Amino acid sequence: MNKQMNKLCRWVLDTAKKAGAKEAKVSLGKSRFVEIQYRDKRPDVIKEATTLQMGIDLFVNGRYSSQSTSDLRKDSLKEFIAEAVSTTKLLSEDPHRSLPDPKYYKGQIETDLKLMDAAIDKLTPEQKHSIVKAAENAALSAGGDKVVSVEAGFNDNFSESVMLTSNGFSGYGKSTDFAAVVSVNIRDEDNRRPMAYDYAESHFYNKLANPEVIGKNAANKALAKLGAKKIDTAAMPIIIENRNVHRIIDGLFEALDGRNIYRKQSFLADKKDQKIASDKFALIDDPLILEGLGTRPYDGDGFPAKKRTIIEAGVLKDFYIDWYYSRKLNCEPTSGSTGNMIIPPGTRSVDDIMKDLGKGILITDFLGGNSNPTTGDFSVGIFGQYFEGGKIVHPVCEMNIADNHLKFWHKLSECANDPWLYSSWRTPSMVFSDIVVSGV
Amino acid sequence: MKTTAATGGMVLAGPMLFDGWLAFADDVKTGYFETEFGITDSLCKKVLSKALSKGGDFAELYFEHTINNSLGLEDKKVDRAFSSINLGVGIRTVKDDQVGFGFTQELTEKSMMAAAATAATIANGSPTAISGKFTTVKKSDYYPLTGIKPAPLQPRLSLVESTADKCFARSGKVVKTIARFGDGRKRIMIVTSDGAKAEDLLPGSALSAMVTVEKGDRKEQFWFSRGGRRDFSYFSDEIAKQVAEGVVDGAIMLLDAVSPPAGDMPVVFGPGEPGVLLHEAVGHGFEADFNRKKTSIYSTMMGQKVAEPIVTVVDDGTWQNARGSINFDDEGTAGQKTVLVENGILKSYLHDRISAKHFGLKSTGNGRRENYANYPVPRMRNTYILPGKSKPQEIIEGVKKGIYVENVSNGQVNIGQGDFAFFVSQGRMIEDGKLTAPIKDINIMGNGPNLLRDITMVADDLRLGWSGLSTCGKEGQGVPIDAGMPTVLVKSLTVGGTKKEGA
Repeated sequence: MNKQMNKLCRWVLDTAKKAGAKEAKVSLGKSRFVEIQYRDKRPDVIKEATTLQMGIDLFVNGRYSSQSTSDLRKDSLKEFIAEAVSTTKLLSEDPHRSLPDPKYYKGQIETDLKLMDAAIDKLTPEQKHSIVKAAENAALSAGGDKVVSVEAGFNDNFSESVMLTSNGFSGYGKSTDFAAVVSVNIRDEDNRRPMAYDYAESHFYNKLANPEVIGKNAANKALAKLGAKKIDTAAMPIIIENRNVHRIIDGLFEALDGRNIYRKQSFLADKKDQKIASDKFALIDDPLILEGLGTRPYDGDGFPAKKRTIIEAGVLKDFYIDWYYSRKLNCEPTSGSTGNMIIPPGTRSVDDIMKDLGKGILITDFLGGNSNPTTGDFSVGIFGQYFEGGKIVHPVCEMNIADNHLKFWHKLSECANDPWLYSSWRTPSMVFSDIVVSGV
Repeated sequence: MKTTAATGGMVLAGPMLFDGWLAFADDVKTGYFETEFGITDSLCKKVLSKALSKGGDFAELYFEHTINNSLGLEDKKVDRAFSSINLGVGIRTVKDDQVGFGFTQELTEKSMMAAAATAATIANGSPTAISGKFTTVKKSDYYPLTGIKPAPLQPRLSLVESTADKCFARSGKVVKTIARFGDGRKRIMIVTSDGAKAEDLLPGSALSAMVTVEKGDRKEQFWFSRGGRRDFSYFSDEIAKQVAEGVVDGAIMLLDAVSPPAGDMPVVFGPGEPGVLLHEAVGHGFEADFNRKKTSIYSTMMGQKVAEPIVTVVDDGTWQNARGSINFDDEGTAGQKTVLVENGILKSYLHDRISAKHFGLKSTGNGRRENYANYPVPRMRNTYILPGKSKPQEIIEGVKKGIYVENVSNGQVNIGQGDFAFFVSQGRMIEDGKLTAPIKDINIMGNGPNLLRDITMVADDLRLGWSGLSTCGKEGQGVPIDAGMPTVLVKSLTVGGTKKEGA
């Protein structure tokens, strides 16, 4: 527990009550961030920052407002809170606004979720510079004379957060985060300079991939894009590479949100316990995995984290309903926050799966696109590799896939054995059959 | 609605953290940071000296105090309000194209000196001298305010509620309306080691609505907004009416929308909002940081023919009240209008101070940043194509089979390959020169240089998007922009429909 942060939050709660708020919630986040970036074998950017940000939710005579500020001088805060309380009184009443019933705070997680690495204090600037140099050199040598530009970076972050409510919730968390990223542009025909990147991120410094591997991967991914072209519009199988799967799931996810359900903007609102995907599709939200990038002890309402099954064998099992929208929808709250999103991996590698698929596209990047949460229609640009008989034939660009989520997930035929672990989305590569890919 | 832009992207319906009732402490027009926070010239000199204590070309201080509020309605009454305060100073040291950067949220000498010491670490030589006195940068007024203080709360509550009432009154098919009004003020002061001092107050406000409509078992949503660098005086009953009509009529049209065929076809872009096309396909690739690093597809094309002579593209920081207008940029360079492509010839990139020095040119006033926590990089302002001589109707009539784009929600570009995408939220099929069935929710793909080359007709009906919420994302920083265009014909683009032609 950070006593100073806790004391300031307690003072804000008292000040809000004195100013006339019936209830209040305050959260305070503090982070220290250091970033080193190289280009052309010398530092391009060195950045260091300490950030403080406070959020205050006020409940005044059945009325509600929310504020955030980085001006934490006590005089300013006092004035800020007084003005906010008096203005909140002028809004319309909302009978559904209140802090959660404290019974939902019970069962808080007391165990160490392993999010804090003491190495952050020991890592010297020289070590950080040598990590970045190693990654940059690896990318330059793997890319060879095709390289136009390499950018390599390393950053670390230490953050602490406090959340208090006037009806008894008290939470504290701290974590460290380390990330290395390399991007490489290479020279192609027609002035094209395709870019690719690779990265690794972890709460623990020694869990990051070797910087040389990251640099080499980034260069090889860029080289794989040389000579990309469009192919004819056709229906074919696609494989979405593990680290990008979340771009497509995001559209499904929006429709699980209690807010969108209440606003009649969810194509999944009436689909609970119904089959919305093939048997191969399972989705689990587990905020309690040790060292997980989506791990957290409690959610935005202060409810203790718990593991939930969202989709099981293609059947929709659960929504994301926070305290406020649970009251508007007249149902039990689940949680409005996500944790680690897990799609259980399959047993075969992408290479093995490709051999069985005939011809298709391995999607390695998405571009633009969007998804309509009311109808489930989506459309998104794709880049990747066209394959035939298990072998990569050539890269593709400027192509697109479009479908409706209520049809698309039924076409899931297999998950590969390669879950991506440098993200809160722990997804394997996923295989879909018979998707219209638009090109020429 | 968002883009994940490792490269560059634009979002029209961004998060709305705007102003509602909080006001600045008083009506101080200039000298705000000195009066409110004791930031004197001598303190600035001391901090700048620290930032250049190990050498470097120049250093700058960027002070910011921003107040944003918004009012929200979900059930016919305004029952929620949001406000935010952002206060801090960013300190940057530049040596050639290398950047050292630190920031603090405490405007105390001790904190600022520590941030300056961080910025200084990019260099490792002997100290660079700073200018003896600061000269105030001459300022234009591209967004005059009717008053320093925001309007009282009550009229703003009424505006939001009357917009929602108008939506329900417009059609019985409306089953849900979400409405918001946001009004923000950003105060900045830039002080540089080479003696420039610039102070500004930037307003921004927008009225937006989203509706859900139902017909039988079919449901659709649509979103619409109006705003810019304006204050509350702009938001008349007429504007509320425009927003309500725009959002309800748009949603109802979607109830009959079909999915277009997939594949390459001619695309006509209507005036205004589809300017996102230009922002993605052309604008980002012209940002000079990508060109000095040679990572843009346009980096070898300066002075060459990139389009037909009917095409002139500008990036303009001077359009009165437009969301991307700036009296000066975030490095203190005066706001201006930059011609990027003139009669088909590539004439200029968009420069900040670093890229201008690299190319031996003057900055074009495009050095922009989201806030004090970020250093500036070249960014667009209001980007558009100048009007041509064709008539919108003759452009549509010339297309046998293609699509017409009316509204776009977001887009993204790969700078290096020049490939771009943008998402059409509203449009129509064109069949035998006539607008026919509505279409929606499709992504369109293309390649920037090919697109410029393939613009074959430009109409005379230029306008900006004026959504008041357009935000461009690059390197994790969002900045307010606008984009626009007249009606334009592009010979061929990849339309991401769901049907194979003939299937």
